[in-house]
Amino acid sequence: MTLLAPAAALLGLTLPAIVALYFLKIRRPTRIVPALHLWPNQIRDRQANVPWQRLRPSWLLFLQLLAAAVLVAAAVQPVLPAGAALARHSIVLIDTSASMQATDVTPSRLAEAKRQVNGLIDQLGPQDRMTIITVGPTPRIVAAVSADRDGLHRSLNEVSASNGPADLSASLSLAAGLVRPGDDARAYLFSDGIVQPLRASFASGLPFPVDYHRLGVSGENVGLTSLTVRSSAQTRAAYLHVQNFGQQPRSVSLEWRADSRLLDVRPLTLAAGQSQDLVLPVPNDATSVNAHLSGGDVFALDDSATAVAKTPRAFRVLLVTPGNVFLEQALRLRSDLQVDVVAPAGYRPSAAYAMTVFDRFLPATIPDGPLLVIDPPAGSTLAGGTALGIGRVRAADAGDPLLANVDLQDVHVGRSQDLRVSTFGRPLITSLQTPLVLVRDEPFRQALFGFDLHESDLPLRIAFPILVQNLSEWMLPPSVPSHSFHPDEAVTIVPESGATSVTVIRPDGSHRALAGAAIATFGDTDPVGLYSVEQTVAGSTQRSWFSVNLFSDPISQLKPLDRLTLPPTHSTAVQTTHQGQLEIWPWIALAALGVIAAEWLAFHRGF
Amino acid sequence: MAVAPLLEPSLLRRLEALALQVRRAVSGQMGGERRSRRRGQSVEFADFRNYTPGDDFRLIDWNAYARLDRFMLRLFVAEEELPLSVFVDLSGSMDWGKPNKAETARQLAGAIAYVALAALDRVRITVFADGPTSGGTPYRGRRAAAELFRRLQSFPAGGVTNYQKLVWPIGRQRPGMSVLISDGLGEPGVDVALSALQRARQEGAVLQLLAPQELTPEWSGDARLRDAETGLEREFTATPLTQDAYRRALQQRTDDIERAAHRRGLRFARMSTAEPIDEMVQLTLRRIGLLA
Repeated sequence: MTLLAPAAALLGLTLPAIVALYFLKIRRPTRIVPALHLWPNQIRDRQANVPWQRLRPSWLLFLQLLAAAVLVAAAVQPVLPAGAALARHSIVLIDTSASMQATDVTPSRLAEAKRQVNGLIDQLGPQDRMTIITVGPTPRIVAAVSADRDGLHRSLNEVSASNGPADLSASLSLAAGLVRPGDDARAYLFSDGIVQPLRASFASGLPFPVDYHRLGVSGENVGLTSLTVRSSAQTRAAYLHVQNFGQQPRSVSLEWRADSRLLDVRPLTLAAGQSQDLVLPVPNDATSVNAHLSGGDVFALDDSATAVAKTPRAFRVLLVTPGNVFLEQALRLRSDLQVDVVAPAGYRPSAAYAMTVFDRFLPATIPDGPLLVIDPPAGSTLAGGTALGIGRVRAADAGDPLLANVDLQDVHVGRSQDLRVSTFGRPLITSLQTPLVLVRDEPFRQALFGFDLHESDLPLRIAFPILVQNLSEWMLPPSVPSHSFHPDEAVTIVPESGATSVTVIRPDGSHRALAGAAIATFGDTDPVGLYSVEQTVAGSTQRSWFSVNLFSDPISQLKPLDRLTLPPTHSTAVQTTHQGQLEIWPWIALAALGVIAAEWLAFHRGF
Repeated sequence: MAVAPLLEPSLLRRLEALALQVRRAVSGQMGGERRSRRRGQSVEFADFRNYTPGDDFRLIDWNAYARLDRFMLRLFVAEEELPLSVFVDLSGSMDWGKPNKAETARQLAGAIAYVALAALDRVRITVFADGPTSGGTPYRGRRAAAELFRRLQSFPAGGVTNYQKLVWPIGRQRPGMSVLISDGLGEPGVDVALSALQRARQEGAVLQLLAPQELTPEWSGDARLRDAETGLEREFTATPLTQDAYRRALQQRTDDIERAAHRRGLRFARMSTAEPIDEMVQLTLRRIGLLA
C-alpha cells in the first residue's frame, strides 16, 4: 500500500487534541431541582472550558477518536496495488460492433467491457493518461490522452453499441497516430475478437503492445442470414436462410409478416450447426416482408430480417441489333429493365428510352444518354482502326468495380477493331494488341466494345451477363436500390428527375433530409429494418424502400475468440509499466461517515 | 374581604355550593351538618324506643302514647360536625416551579378548608416540612376563614420533607377526614404518613401537586443539579435518554403513592400547578369524590 498524500498524516494531531479536550472540565450552570434522587446518574463531557479533570471513559470519546483516525486515513489517500499493468499512456480500444450486443454475459458484452474499462480508469495513477477509442464500423476517439478520471468515466459511459462490424485496423491506425515516438504506451483491446481481418499495412507492427481482453462466453445463436424476394411471371416468393450457429440443437418460432401483417408462424428445430432454407409466400400488394425468430437467444440483432417486396420502377432500354440473343438475354436478366429490340432499319431516335444499345450499328447522330455500342461499323463515328487478331484478354484495372466478379481468365476474342487511338474513354478490358472495351463518364456514362460478340467466347462465359449487369447498373443505377444493405453501409440515392426534396425515413421513424437534385450517399444506416425514401416530384410524393439487415455469418457465429492475432510491437520506447493503483479512500471516507453517524446517534441518545 | 389575596371572592362563592363527601358517618364534638352515628337533635326521624326514667321528656311522642298507652321516645339522627385535617407540605421542594407549588398548595388547602368551614365543620390545618409547624386551634365557621387563610400564608416554605414526623400529629386525630397535600417527592416516601392516617381511621385524600416544569423538564445539556431541600449537588448531562429516565422515575413515584393511598382507602389525585385552582377544586376533587 502506498500513500498519495502522506503529508495529510499531520491531521493525526487531531487525535491527541480530542483527548486533550476531554481532560478539560466543563463549566456547568446550576439548576435547582425538587428531587435530585429522581434524576439518573448521568454525566458526559461535551465541551470543556475549565482545566482540568480526570479523563473518564466515554463512548463518545472512543467514537470521536475513531472517526478522526478514519478521516486521517482517508486524507492520506492510500492506494492498493491493482491487478493490471499500466503504461503511462493507456489506450483503451473498446469494441462497439454488433456482436458486442450479445447478452451471453450479463447485461451484455459491451456493458461488461465498460465495467472492466471503468475498473481500469480507477487504477490510473496521478501521472497516467488514458485514451479511449471505439472499435466499430468507424473508429471514434471517445477521450484523448486524458488524466481526468471523472471525464473518462463520463465519456466511456456514453459509448453505445453499433450494428456494424468492428474495423480494428482503422482503430489501431487512429491509436498509432496518437502515440508519439518514445511514448510509454500500451493498448488494451476489450473485444469478443469478432473483428474484420487486419490490413496488411500492420505487418510492420505497432508502436505499442496490445493486450487482448476477451469478452463473451457463448456462441449459441440462431440467426437469419439471408432474405430475398424473387418475382416470376406468376408469383412472388421470399427465400429465407436460417442457421443455428451454436453447438446445441435449438427450437425457435418463425414469424412471417408482410407490411406488419402476420402471415404465418412456423416452429423450427435446428440441430447444432444446421441451416435451413425456407420459401415463403409474398402477397402481391406487399411493400415489405419481415421474418422474425422468437426463442430468446443471446443475440437479437440477427433474429429479424426485412426485405423490400415491391418491384422497383422499370427502365426502358432499346436494343438495336441485327440479332444477338446473348446480348438480349443478358439485358433481360435485370428485372427492372424493359428491353425493346429493333432491327437497325427500324431504328428511330426516341427520348422514351433510358438507355440505348447499338449492336454492330451506329446511327449518324448518337443519342444523348447512357449508351452501349458493340462493334460499330467501319466509317461510323466511334469506329476504330483496322481489325487486329486478338487472343486472351485481361482487365485494364483488376480493381475496377465495373469488373467486379467478372472472370476474364478463359475469355478469348478472335478479332477486334484497333482502339488504341480512340479518344472514347478509358480502357476497361484490354489485350496485348489493343484495348477492347472503353468506358467514359462524360458527357454520359457510355461503353464501347471494339469486337463483335460473335467473334469471342465471352458470351459463352458466366462473365458476360455479369459484365452486362455491371455496365447497365453503372449506366442506369436504380433511384433507390431495393436490395438489402449491411448496417452502416453507404447507400447511393439518385433522385428522380425533377425531384425537389428527398427524405429518408429510418426504421425508428427519424427523418433525414437529403439535398434536392444531387446524387447523395446516405450513410446513416446503423439501425436495421426498412428504410423509406420519399421524393417530391412535381408536387406528388414518390416512395421507394431499401432494407438494412445484419446478414453477417462471422458476426452471427458470435463465438468469442480466445486468441486474436495482433500486430507485433516495434516500439523502441522503454516499457515502464507499473502496477495499477486502486484508490480506497472513498471507502474509508464512507466508513468515516458511518462512524460519525454512530457518534451523532450516541450523542443524541445520551451515551 | 380579607381572604381575597389567597382566594378570589368569586371562587369562595362557588366553593360554598360544594360539600366534602364523607363515605361513612362521623362523630364530632359539636353539632354540625354531618350525619352522626349517634341519635340527637335534628329534623330527620330515626327511630322509636321505650321511655326510661331520666330521658328527656320533651322527646316523648304523645301521639304514640295516646295510641299505645305507653311512653315512647322519638329518636332523631344527630347531625354533628366533621373534623377535617389538612396537612400541607411546605418543604423546600414545594417552593419550586411556575406556578409555585407551595403557593398553589396554600390555595388548594384554603379552598378545601373553606368548603368545610362553610358546612360548619371543624378544620385543622397542619403545615409541615421536617416536622409539623402548625397544629394550632381548629377553625370552625365561615368567619374563621380569614384567620385560617392568614395563617396559611404566614408560613414560609423551606426545609427537608420528613413524613415520619407527621405520624404523631395524625395519631392524635379523632376519626374524620384528612387531606394530605404534597409533591410526594420526599425521602423516605409518604407511605409512613398514609399508614398513620389509616390507623387514625381517617378517610380523605392524598393530593400530589407537581409543577409543569418537573412533569416535563424543558431543559437539556450539561448542568450542576442542586436539590431544593438538601442542597446536595451533582453534575449532570441532560439528554433525551436521561429525560426519559427521569420521567419514568417520577411516574413510578406517582404510581407508588397512588397504590399506597388506594390500599388505605384514601382517594388520590395528581395535579399540575398549571391547572387553575378553580378547576382543581371543581373538576379534579369532584372527580375523585372528595367534594360533591
